[in-house]
Parts: sequence; C-alpha cells; structure tokens
Amino acid sequence: MGFWTAFYAILFYIATLIFVGGLAYKIYQYATTPAPFSVPTMPAPLTTGGVILRVLSEVILFKSLFRSNKWIWLFGMLFHGALWVVLFRHLRYFVAEPGALIVLIQPFGKYGSFVMFFGLLGLLVRRIVVERIRYISSPSDYLMLILLLVIGGSGTMMSFVTHTDIVQFKAFMLGVMYFDWQRIPTDGILLLHLASVILLMIIFPFSKLLHAPGVFFSPSRNQVDNAREKRHVAPWAIEKFETPPPVVD
Amino acid sequence: MKVRLKLSTLGKLGIGLLLSLAVSAAEPTSSGRVPIPKPPKAKEPFSAEQPCVEPIDDIRRNHGHYLKHHRDDTVHSGVRTTKHSLEACINCHVTKDAAGNYPSIKTGEHFCRSCHIYAAVTIDCFQCHASRSNEPSQ
Repeated sequence: MGFWTAFYAILFYIATLIFVGGLAYKIYQYATTPAPFSVPTMPAPLTTGGVILRVLSEVILFKSLFRSNKWIWLFGMLFHGALWVVLFRHLRYFVAEPGALIVLIQPFGKYGSFVMFFGLLGLLVRRIVVERIRYISSPSDYLMLILLLVIGGSGTMMSFVTHTDIVQFKAFMLGVMYFDWQRIPTDGILLLHLASVILLMIIFPFSKLLHAPGVFFSPSRNQVDNAREKRHVAPWAIEKFETPPPVVD
Repeated sequence: MKVRLKLSTLGKLGIGLLLSLAVSAAEPTSSGRVPIPKPPKAKEPFSAEQPCVEPIDDIRRNHGHYLKHHRDDTVHSGVRTTKHSLEACINCHVTKDAAGNYPSIKTGEHFCRSCHIYAAVTIDCFQCHASRSNEPSQ
C-alpha cells in the first residue's frame, strides 16, 4: 500500500463528504428560500404538470438559451450532452459487474470525450472573444472551464494515447468504496485526472457549478400561472394587514 | 458566515473520521471484499528475466495497442512476427480448466474475458480468430 493509494483514497472520502454535504445544504437552502411573489414568466403553464414539462425543457433542452442565443446553446448542448455520456461510461469503474447498458455506452463515451472537449473550447473562446462576455467574466469563470478541460483532456489522453492500468484502477476505486484499499496505478496522467476531478467535487458546492441544482429553483420558470384562481399571500402579510383590530369597548 | 461555520465543522468531523479509518485501513488487508479479476496463469514464462513478452506493467497498459499495431504491420506491410501476435498470446495464456477443456470466450474463465468483463471492454478479435490454443490436443 503506497503513499499515493492512501493519499487519493483519503482525498476521495473528503471530496465526497464535501460534495454530498455541501450540495445537500445548498439544495436545502434553495428549497427553503421564500419566493414572495407569483412571478412565472408568461406565457406560463396553467397546471403543475405543465410546469414539470417546462422545467424539464429547460433542464434537458436549455429552451430559454435556445431562444436567446443559438450558437451558445449549441456549444452548451455539446458539452453537457457529451458530459452525461462520458459520466455514464465511467460507471464501469464503480459497478462491480457492469451490465449491458454500460458495455453499450463505452464507445460512445470514448468518442464523446472529443465532443465534450470541443464544446468546452467553444465556451472558452466565447468568454475571450465576445467583448461583453469578457467584461463580465471573473477568474472563476475561466478556471471552471480550464479545470473541465484538464479533466477532459487527461481522460481522453488515457483513452487514446498513454494508457493506464484500468483493471488495477477499478480495483482501487472499488477498494475506496468497499473500505478495503487496493493499490492505485501511479501514472502521472491518471493522478492528474483524479486530482482535478477531486478539486471539482470540492469546489462544486461553492461555485457557479451550482447552476445544476439551481436551475430547478428558478422562480420565473417553476411557478404555475394561477394568480387568478389561487390567492398567493405571505403569512406575515395576513398577520399584519388582515387580522381584525382588537375590540375595544 | 453561517454556511462557512457549518461546513468547517462538517469538514473537521469528516477528517477525524477519515484519520481513524486511515489507521485501520493502512494495515495490509486482504479481506477479499473487493472484486478483482483473477485471470488463469500462463503456461510458461517468456524468459528467465520476465514473465511476458513485455514487462507486466507495460503489457497490462498497452496490450491492445501492441496487438493492433502488430495487426497493421502484418496486414498492411506483410511483416509477420511472433512477439506481439495474438496467436502466441492465446497459445500461452488460454489454458485448460480442471476438466481438461478450454474455457469459452464468453465466460470469465477465459484469460481475455476475465478482465474485459470487469472493465466493460468489448473486442471483436474472436469473431474471426480462435480463442483457444491451436496446438494439437493430446
């Protein structure tokens, strides 16, 4: 059991705690933050079912972005779509006996990594080339893109150029999950890939990456257009304005 | 401010938990909880110095590359050597089971499949090539 095995195993535990705990906390915070007004952007669905469809069309198809800017939508879609496929391909390291679906997705994930890389490059070029975007871009905007590019780049390199011992790596990953550590292959590119993934997990709950859970809580998208049918009023307002004054005799 | 306080407490708890874990896990454990493929042993070592045609660390990472490269050399350039030939790999690595039969390429008993099932790898070598030794059986 070498130093790197213990180092990465412990980092994975810390990163997972921060990722899951931080994300749960942020989701709790989003869910309990009051939306004081009924403000769905019109035309809005009249039923809850309609709202579910609307939110899904935002989450899956990025509908609002499509309506506002076609080329940003294209790069965003390429990146996020390919990211899902690539993530699904990685299940082979976490499932002891990968099923038919995981086997089926392997080649798609393998070449999907190029699509993901291309999408990210497009989004990075957008930050640099479009002047009004460059003006509002902060270092973290660039760093997220660069971090994802490092993850995608090192992963693609391992698939196509400088291979690692993936059987031993899977043993390491399962060892981390089963609390029975196994040796990690110490290829530099693998260690870089894992370190950047761990960094991403750790900064996820503190960064703009929170748009992933956050999109579900957009008040203008997740509210039903029922202002006429149902009265929306905050409890404090009833207390303040609609409690009958005390009877004085 | 509230967030930071809570997260740092969580972090300290986590690190404490991990340190205690690290101590227990640092002992060499072989409880066998982690599924690891156990491919059958090869017939004989390649030479006195090394067990396989390339060092173990190398062949585990690059065998796919070597086989593909060898195929291209053979098919495109007509250079046919034995060092990285699939046939030589199969002859040495695919061994008979206790009952004296060669394992099917579809099962994890087969040298190639034992790891390829584990890593969800699909290869099409054996749609044409034989998956068992071509030496005459006794």
